[in-house]
Amino acid sequence: MNATPKSPIVSITNVTKDYTLGKVVVPALRGVDLQVHAGEFISIAGPSGSGKTTLLNLIGCVDTSTTGVVSVAGQDTQKLSERQLTDLRLHTIGFIFQSFNLVSVLTVFQNVEFPLLLQRKLDKAQRKERVMQLLEQVGLANHAKHRPNELSGGQRQRVAVARALVTRPQLVLADEPTANLDSVTGQHIIDLMKELNQKEGTTFIFSTHDAKVMSHANAVWRLADGKILDRLTADEAQRALAVGSH
Amino acid sequence: MGGHFRLLLQVAFRNLFTSKINLLIGGIIFLGTLLVVVGGALLDSMDSAMSRSIIGSVAGHLQVYSDESRDELGLFGTMGGEPDLAAVDDFSRIKPVLEKHPNVKTVVPMGTNGALITSGNTVDLTLARLRDLYKKRAEAGETPALRENIDSLKAHVRQMVALMEEELAKSRELLSDAARTPEERESLTRARSEVFWDGFEADPFGSLEFLENRIAPQIPDGDLLYLRYAGTDLDTFQSTFDRMEVVDGQPVPKGQRGMLLSKFFYEEYLKLKTARRLDLIKQERELNKKTIATDPQLQRWVKENQTQTREIVYQLDPIKTRQAVERLQKLLGSQEPKLEKLLSSFLTTDDANFDARYTQFYAELAPLLELYRLRLGDSLTITAFTRSGYVQSVNVKVYGTYQFKGLEKSALAGALNLMDLMSFRDLYGYLTADKKAELAELQKQSGVKAVAREGAEDALFGEDSGNTLVADATPGLINDQDTLTGAMDSLRRDDLTKRVYSQEEINQGVVLSSAIILKDPEQLQQTMAELKQSTQDAGLKLRVVSWQQAAGLIGQFVLMAKLVLYAAVFIIFVVVLVIINNAMMMATLQRVREVGTMRAIGAQRSFVLGMVLVETLLLGLVFGAGGALVGSGIMAGLGSVGIPAANEALYFFFSGPRLYPSLSAGNLIAAFIIVMVVSAISTLYPAFLATRVSPLQAMQTDE
Repeated sequence: MNATPKSPIVSITNVTKDYTLGKVVVPALRGVDLQVHAGEFISIAGPSGSGKTTLLNLIGCVDTSTTGVVSVAGQDTQKLSERQLTDLRLHTIGFIFQSFNLVSVLTVFQNVEFPLLLQRKLDKAQRKERVMQLLEQVGLANHAKHRPNELSGGQRQRVAVARALVTRPQLVLADEPTANLDSVTGQHIIDLMKELNQKEGTTFIFSTHDAKVMSHANAVWRLADGKILDRLTADEAQRALAVGSH
Repeated sequence: MGGHFRLLLQVAFRNLFTSKINLLIGGIIFLGTLLVVVGGALLDSMDSAMSRSIIGSVAGHLQVYSDESRDELGLFGTMGGEPDLAAVDDFSRIKPVLEKHPNVKTVVPMGTNGALITSGNTVDLTLARLRDLYKKRAEAGETPALRENIDSLKAHVRQMVALMEEELAKSRELLSDAARTPEERESLTRARSEVFWDGFEADPFGSLEFLENRIAPQIPDGDLLYLRYAGTDLDTFQSTFDRMEVVDGQPVPKGQRGMLLSKFFYEEYLKLKTARRLDLIKQERELNKKTIATDPQLQRWVKENQTQTREIVYQLDPIKTRQAVERLQKLLGSQEPKLEKLLSSFLTTDDANFDARYTQFYAELAPLLELYRLRLGDSLTITAFTRSGYVQSVNVKVYGTYQFKGLEKSALAGALNLMDLMSFRDLYGYLTADKKAELAELQKQSGVKAVAREGAEDALFGEDSGNTLVADATPGLINDQDTLTGAMDSLRRDDLTKRVYSQEEINQGVVLSSAIILKDPEQLQQTMAELKQSTQDAGLKLRVVSWQQAAGLIGQFVLMAKLVLYAAVFIIFVVVLVIINNAMMMATLQRVREVGTMRAIGAQRSFVLGMVLVETLLLGLVFGAGGALVGSGIMAGLGSVGIPAANEALYFFFSGPRLYPSLSAGNLIAAFIIVMVVSAISTLYPAFLATRVSPLQAMQTDE
């Protein structure tokens, strides 16, 4: 929202990422270039091992590239310290995980409040207002005092969505957010993300291999062998996949 | 900030009760704290109780003794017997110097030493009485009463010899004959023969000598007793150590010579063993609620009473034997003619008949018996060898028995008998004018033979001949017959017993050490240092030591116990440290994804570190507080009920029959600090590991 629409939130230039397994160097990304602009709703698709998660990790500042430049919210992540990267994650990025990753000993409310506490920007009343606002948006205002283990998988992922968005991040990353959910529930989650994308203007990047999920994206980047194969619109992607799978 | 910390606390607190590992760690911390609190408080209480025992019984707060001593002072004895102390030549010189200090309340002169008493066996004692009667006859001529006494004792001796032969016959059946030499059997046969007794009157002293040398040694029931005594200014002692009380008899009259035996010593060692065992059974049954049916110790005593009747049988002359048989037959409704068998079945006690038998024993049998080997009012002759081997012998009248309140059953406190300072000085080998006169008198009385016999004993105990005292208890076991209250008796005791010494005389002379009682015991260390200085300034070569040092090994006991406890606590906490460390590692590993998630969301490493530390500290706090609380509860319970002293040694450490422990703030604070430090240290590495968890680990899926 604060970012000017013209400058990209994420800019990746000629990025490679190698993993070292023992003495073997495994290339995960072999030269990727892309840009993401504010308000986009982007899906990354590709078979497992194609580099989806690696790409998301680099964008999410939890990992750094081997070569090339990863710039998030105008900052070159290579030049940031561990501490600064953590701060960047806290203030700019929201995460939604495949396995929800809620803190099991905290209530729904406390889980959503967690990033706000880390940020130390809002006082107690403001935090409460913000958390409840988010919980209402994801339809869990009545479950604020529940523990994660008292919720269904879909409910948990909605809590995770609320947690990712509570700090009003410019960018939300979701790695296979629907993989652990049935298709109907997964659909709800994607609908919710889409709704928030449209209402709040938050940029979303999510990985998936589900064609139905992809169809909600503005754009689909297909990855294969650590390279971007193509950039398609949602319709194109669906068509391409339909062809591929049948 | 507040919210931040609150979050840490919340996460930690929630984790506390959800993680099984945390419960395990908590349990260990709980037990550890409990141990520190309870163990520490118990030992502290025991320490202060024991210090009361030591200070209140003989040591006082401080002790001074000569700096020229070879050993260190050990009021309760040391490993090698009595410590070798140099004498302080003149108590009246050191007393004013010590008393000048404003914190000194009283100075009590003293010296401890010990002597062996051969109380002699029953045959010995009866023969000695017979010898006395013959001596009396030789000096004053025969009277009908004397004749009757002599005949009665002679009959008693003959009966004993008969019993001995009977026993010999019995042991022949059971065992090989090797136990007795042919000479011994021959002597016994001679003592049984009519010829011997017919010729007795012709040479009574020769015959007695034969019996004393050949027959008496064949009975092994003569005890060799070690008598420890403290020579002290009895009046000052009694007014200073107010726990001391006279139980039987009377205090030694002011300024006079005399002894007070410890009640414990008197009961334990000088009482007829059968009676002592009955007393013990009664005590255990009543005080400790033990039963003969279930307790092996009581069963053993009953068994010993059943089988060891000889002590009684030998003691009774024919007339009393007949009386005893009649009484027992009536009590038991039995026709059994033999005293031994009657006694054995009378003393076969169980829980049902014990109380009745106990009462009957004291009502019917005790009047016929000598219950104690030494009776109050009798004299004890203590013979000592000085360093040069010179024999010192002192007659001391035993006026009564005493005990320290609360320490009645303590063998340690009860081991010390009290003697007047003048007698002690005599025994220690420092001649006074009185003593010289007495010696001349003694030499006249006791022939060469007696000295030779003492000399033989000296050779026997020769290894420590420098300082060992051998004491011979004179037959105090004189019958209530009036035989010895006359001229002989006063001769034996000599005039010294009646002499009254002035306080000046008591003060002037040798002491081995002095007890100092302080007005304010809190300032013990300071006063000790100041006294060291002031005695040095006065040119007195003295060592000043605290009660703890003066008590020797005993004083170190609680310190040792504390060291053992702290070592145990240390080991336990090292183990705890390792366990907590491992458990926290496991907990951290279990929570890698949670921590990774927090890191991904934007938690700094410091947050993770704080989270783990707060969690362990909270764990320590909650379970430590629980342990401390339960520990305090236990101590409060024990404090009001008291811990019973299960055995006699504990009476001393408990300073009474029960220890009422209390918990000090110091114990709690120490426990708290130990627990917190251990918790914190044991978490450092797991906490460090937790900070190394990468946010990438949040991305890993369940597979």
